[in-house]
Amino acid sequence: MSDVSVARSGPSGATAPEGAERAAAVALHGVTKRFPGAGKAAEPVTAVDAIDLEIADGEFFSLLGPSGCGKTTTLRMIAGFEYPTAGSIRIFGEEVGLEPPNKRPVNTVFQSYALFPHMTVADNIAFGLQMQGVDRAETTRRVAEVIDLVQLQGREARRPKQLSGGQQQRVALARALVNHPKVLLLDEPLGALDLKLRQTMQVELKQLQERVGITFVYVTHDQEEALTMSDRIAVMDGGRLLQVGTPQAIYDRPRTRFVADFIGDTNLLTGTVVDASTARLGDGSPIRIETDRAEGSTVTVAIRPEQLGLRDPDHPRDPALDAVHGRVERLTFLGNATLYDVVADNDPTLRIRVRQGNAPGIEHFTAGDAVRVRWMPSSASALDD
Amino acid sequence: MSTTVPPPDVQPDFDTSPPVHGAGLERDAEKAASRRGFLVGLPSYAYLVAFFATPLLIVVVYSFASRSVRGATVLTDWNLRSYGRLTDSLVLTIAWRSLWIATLTTLVCLLIAYPFAYYLSTRPARIRAVLLVLVMIPFWSNFLVRTYAWRMLLGGDGPFTRLLEAVGIDGVQLLFTPTGVMVGLVYGYLPFMILPLYAALERLDHSLVEAARDLYASGWQAFWKVTWPLSRPGVIAGSILVFIPSFGAYVTPEILGGRGSTMLGSYIARQFIGSASDWPFGSALSVAILVVMMIAATAYFRAGGKNL
Amino acid sequence: MSVLEMPGAGGPDVAEDSLARPRRAVDRVLAGNAWLVFAFLYLPIVVLIVYSFNDNQRVGIWTEASLRWYGEMFGNARVMDALRNSILVAIVSTAVATVLGTAAGLSMERYRYRGQRAFDGLLYLPVIIPDITMAVMLLLFFVQTFDLIFLATGIQFSRGLGTIMLAHVSFNISFVALVVRARLAGLDGALEEAAADLYANRWQAFRRVTLPLIAPGVAGGALLALTLSLDDVVIAEFVSGAGSTTLPVYVFGALRRGVTPLINAVSVLMLVGSILLVLMSLAVSRGRESSGG
Repeated sequence: MSDVSVARSGPSGATAPEGAERAAAVALHGVTKRFPGAGKAAEPVTAVDAIDLEIADGEFFSLLGPSGCGKTTTLRMIAGFEYPTAGSIRIFGEEVGLEPPNKRPVNTVFQSYALFPHMTVADNIAFGLQMQGVDRAETTRRVAEVIDLVQLQGREARRPKQLSGGQQQRVALARALVNHPKVLLLDEPLGALDLKLRQTMQVELKQLQERVGITFVYVTHDQEEALTMSDRIAVMDGGRLLQVGTPQAIYDRPRTRFVADFIGDTNLLTGTVVDASTARLGDGSPIRIETDRAEGSTVTVAIRPEQLGLRDPDHPRDPALDAVHGRVERLTFLGNATLYDVVADNDPTLRIRVRQGNAPGIEHFTAGDAVRVRWMPSSASALDD
Repeated sequence: MSTTVPPPDVQPDFDTSPPVHGAGLERDAEKAASRRGFLVGLPSYAYLVAFFATPLLIVVVYSFASRSVRGATVLTDWNLRSYGRLTDSLVLTIAWRSLWIATLTTLVCLLIAYPFAYYLSTRPARIRAVLLVLVMIPFWSNFLVRTYAWRMLLGGDGPFTRLLEAVGIDGVQLLFTPTGVMVGLVYGYLPFMILPLYAALERLDHSLVEAARDLYASGWQAFWKVTWPLSRPGVIAGSILVFIPSFGAYVTPEILGGRGSTMLGSYIARQFIGSASDWPFGSALSVAILVVMMIAATAYFRAGGKNL
Repeated sequence: MSVLEMPGAGGPDVAEDSLARPRRAVDRVLAGNAWLVFAFLYLPIVVLIVYSFNDNQRVGIWTEASLRWYGEMFGNARVMDALRNSILVAIVSTAVATVLGTAAGLSMERYRYRGQRAFDGLLYLPVIIPDITMAVMLLLFFVQTFDLIFLATGIQFSRGLGTIMLAHVSFNISFVALVVRARLAGLDGALEEAAADLYANRWQAFRRVTLPLIAPGVAGGALLALTLSLDDVVIAEFVSGAGSTTLPVYVFGALRRGVTPLINAVSVLMLVGSILLVLMSLAVSRGRESSGG
């Protein structure tokens, strides 16, 4: 029992054995989940397809993707609610793939919170400790501690129904954290909250994670949420991992069309490879882009709208920048910026969306104006597909 | 009891080729769960097999047996004679009577219950809850006693006959006639009609009717084009829930019916209780009625009914 | 929809109809019909209760109010025996059916296994089968089984309270299972996962989370079973033996011989009993609403 309170500092603390190379908090190797298809002759559905993933100790890690991408199934396999069809799931080096949930050192914050409606807030939070046989005094102490942590003082005797959505969310969090899990799993925990509360909770959750130092695995379909909170993000689609990296890396250097498109707004330009650092767009203009594709093959280039700038075409060209000429088709006023839809002069199928700030000194255009769209070659990334 | 899993298990040289569950390992875990579920249900299923499925089978077996001259059942001579007797004119008369009494009962229930359920569903929530409780109380009260009460009401010196006499209609007998039986059946099974109808109408989004009115439908048009079609599952469910027990009624015709109002239920009972016993024939009748019920019940489930 | 689905103060209040004027007449007709329906539902019950206090030997003729027939009822050994039998049968069959039915409901709703559909059918059949068919089935079954046991062992069993209990359990399992199942279906499956996630083993999760949450359903199912057992006359009439008459069977038999004021008093006793059960289940369903889920 006492080892739990020692573990208070989190597995990242001094409890890790010395000398040994520390195992990843969560390590998935070749994890696959197939569900039997609906109907008798139906093919099994592959929800998660041979995922390899290592989550470091103390990380705030997000699984991001559209609904049905396999992120929740992955989380449920880590929690133990589903067993993998194949593959290995390790938590701090220990294989748990086929262990039932109650034998795993992880806790979950459910999307629906799953607070026990027949118990008070305090009883809900104490549940896990009671199941582990923690003695009464210790339980009371730790429940009080975690209630302080999530600022629910004075609400201990309430029933979940008597709390607001945000408060229920905190109870769910406290109920999991009180067990000092080695890894905390969160399944879209902010999904049921309204926008304003969600933003507040994002900040609080991130601060909380930093304070307790526990590894968070966070499932969400909200890219903004993932970008704001995570140390690293794994983008999933169709049961596969498309890209794993820091929010910045994923945003700046998307590797696939899906990632570029799913996260943020993006422009996809198609070009023909000239050599390892040059390609030619459909309208013939050359651009600088790093690619390992063969000469003459097609390459898709992603550039974020805010990485583009508009200039009067009469200005002399800056040789450090790549550019395309076109005409403003439509503009949308956003307040702090304006969004321009530009059609390329030589290629009417090439439409580019440019986000230009509204600060003083920045040039402005109206529909029909001829413009030069330009960007730093380093802000363009070549996609794999 | 240990609290959390022991500290990170560290191997001297970290395993780079972790054990991969072969396909099927997780199936063992799932199979264990399936087995548990089966075991949880097993006592109940064993009970139902012993005291429901087996009796059902025995009725079917008996329906092929013969009756000895002295009324005993002979389990050596197997034949279809009992089924042949299903087309006897007496049986057909009784079956026909059961059918039209059950059908009329269903229609009368529908006619009374639909406007009632509609009225109920348009009341404010608080009143609605109270009114529904008032419907439930007789529904849960003892059926036999409720039916018996009508014997006093319909009797020769009961209020209904007196009322008819007062308006100048003399000599109308209600008790011990098919009409009396029908009144009893309607009374007994009306809640079976009200509740599904109410459920269907209450679920109905009232803004749909408003949308219809907005699109130039008159009140009646809105009802016929929107409310009625959307409440049809309730109509079907209620009709079948009333029809099934009415068709097989036994208690009501025994208490409120007379010689000319024997229904299938009582006719079956007569084959087992009393002197004229003929168990194989009674069994064949039971099997026949069961088949009719199964067809009706299948229609009910098709219509989207779930429990009662 | 279920018999037990108590009048929830469900959907939103229907707003005062803005198109009210032409509908006033329709509304009035609907309201009139509603009052008639309530009169229809309650008139027989009221008449029965009033006449049970009638002193006269003839049922239909009112002379003066008295408790005469209640006195006779409590002094009548056969009625009291039948009452005792009914209560005994109802309690025993309800207890057994509640345990078995709850297990069946759990097994149906929370697990998947082969053969489940067949069991599902077996569970639904007793609900839709007419009383008379069930009565015939069970009569033949007991006669046949007891014959076989006699042939095999020389021991002669006979029909009695035991057979009535067995019969009542076999239809009540289904009703309890249906009610429990409906309750389980309305329960967030994540609650049980949360219990497991919080280190509860299967038994602890059931005991601490599932059972308390389905308790109103179990209680509702038990009350339904109790009501159905006390209500049953057809099946009990067929499978009872000499000396094992239940109250409804006694009343049914007496009615065939003719109506006596004593039967009125017995009927009111039964009516009061069942109304008490309704009120109890209403209280249970109140609890169900407030406990949420």
